Amino acid sequence: MWFVSLLQRLHDTGFSTTLRESIWAEPAIETVHVLTLTLFLGFAVLLDLRLLGVCLKRRSVSEVLARLNPWLAGGFAVMAASGTLLFCGDPVAFYSTIFLRLKMILLALAGLNVALFWVTVGRKVRSWDQAPQTPRGAKLAAVVSLVLWVLIVAAGRAIAYALPPP
Amino acid sequence: MSLGKLLMSFCQWATHTPFGHGIRNSVWLFPAIEIVHLLALGLLGGTILLVNFRLLGLRFWDEPLRDLAKEVRPWTLGSLGVMLVSGFFLFSSEAVKMYGNVAFRSKMTFLVLAVVYTFTIHRKVAMSREADVAPRWRRLAAVVSLLLWTGVGVSGRLIGYV
Repeated sequence: MWFVSLLQRLHDTGFSTTLRESIWAEPAIETVHVLTLTLFLGFAVLLDLRLLGVCLKRRSVSEVLARLNPWLAGGFAVMAASGTLLFCGDPVAFYSTIFLRLKMILLALAGLNVALFWVTVGRKVRSWDQAPQTPRGAKLAAVVSLVLWVLIVAAGRAIAYALPPP
Repeated sequence: MSLGKLLMSFCQWATHTPFGHGIRNSVWLFPAIEIVHLLALGLLGGTILLVNFRLLGLRFWDEPLRDLAKEVRPWTLGSLGVMLVSGFFLFSSEAVKMYGNVAFRSKMTFLVLAVVYTFTIHRKVAMSREADVAPRWRRLAAVVSLLLWTGVGVSGRLIGYV
């Protein structure tokens, strides 16, 4: 309950009220959130396709990782910032939907998947990134990532339908 | 018949198709198709950004851009196909309403321009040898592409608000 009352206090701040009552803030932030999907999700999928060995095959995995990672980090930062702003506009209502909670759990799992990749097969990427076939662990990480991002997009879209009408 | 009347009768036809009816009368079909539309947006946008970033002169890989463009093309075409089909299904559920929607009209205008541009001028520049087209023309080709696709995306997002 303490968390809900904390969210209620956020809801009552001038910042949250301004976001909520502005005509253009929500559409503008939402547009940024959706368009940045092209950078973040698009590049994440390209990386997963490389790990599966079906796209960007001419380049080594470590090279693809090195070039895409800064864009992925930047894209994720914009996604997280715009997503947080959307949340701040109506925190109690967002928190009340099952899909927001589900999305947060799935995001944590996606983060865990990246971490697991780096402590296992990713740590030795230089030893296999010239091989014609990527190792099974790399393929598994890519499939888990693709499945999680499909679910995260689905949960995100569902939030809009689950929110109580204004 | 005027263009307006032709488009209106197309919208009426789409509204009365079985899938138009089905999506309109279902609670979950519209959101489900939207999710497919968004996922394809991610991949379509990602491949277009990658080619345009290269045209802008950002470093990714040393391989010639034409090889990269060739390699990502099936993914661009595939995701564009998914977007067009899923987009048409979404449209069919409220086609007559879309006829008068300013954001939707703007989106379709940008879409036609973006697709034509992508498969003509943009493709030609991306497939040319880097020495054959001056860097400033390559950058211009990328900027025009980014502006047209952003026009599609922003108008699309605004359909629900106008």
